Amino acid sequence: MIKLRNPAICRSRWFTPLICLGLGVVVFAVSALGGQLGGGLISLAVLVGFGLIMLLLGSRSETIRGLTVARDERFAQLDLRATALSGLVMLLAALVFWLVEVAHGHNGHPYDWLLAIGGLAYLVSFVFFRWRG
Amino acid sequence: MKNLVRALRTQRDMAQGQLADAMGVSRQTINSIETGRYTPSLPLAMALARYFGVTVEEMFDDQAS
Repeated sequence: MIKLRNPAICRSRWFTPLICLGLGVVVFAVSALGGQLGGGLISLAVLVGFGLIMLLLGSRSETIRGLTVARDERFAQLDLRATALSGLVMLLAALVFWLVEVAHGHNGHPYDWLLAIGGLAYLVSFVFFRWRG
Repeated sequence: MKNLVRALRTQRDMAQGQLADAMGVSRQTINSIETGRYTPSLPLAMALARYFGVTVEEMFDDQAS
């Protein structure tokens, strides 16, 4: 049997639910610190629910498994494309919001920082990956 | 890219899932390769060719439209 799958990206089926739980607890703690207990509880419930749905559907759907636990080369490529597109959409949204803020006479915070970080991250990663070949 | 994966698989009476397990990829990936929607990486193309006992050039046709 030929095994091409990288074991590093064959995660436990509990990986995604535990990440969701961890993120939910962090959001809950931060919300509680900010005095928004209700909002924090809702966020925790949404994230835990999402993690459980991924866990339950993972045994039925190859797409969900590819998204969460068993990522072969095609799913890795899909992930890369989806990540790139999401980043582009985020940057375009930040650009539009920045333009709107500036047009309203504001200084464009915090969208100017988001755009600067996004642009810099792109340039640094481009140079890095070019250097790595 | 046109290829012989489906022809060679069915010749051996194999299901897509069986070939997927043998290659360590998902069934959807095998299906996408067979329908020409996904061009596999060089390691996977070589593994497929080796599995069916043909060359990569015989299995994949980059000239066909």
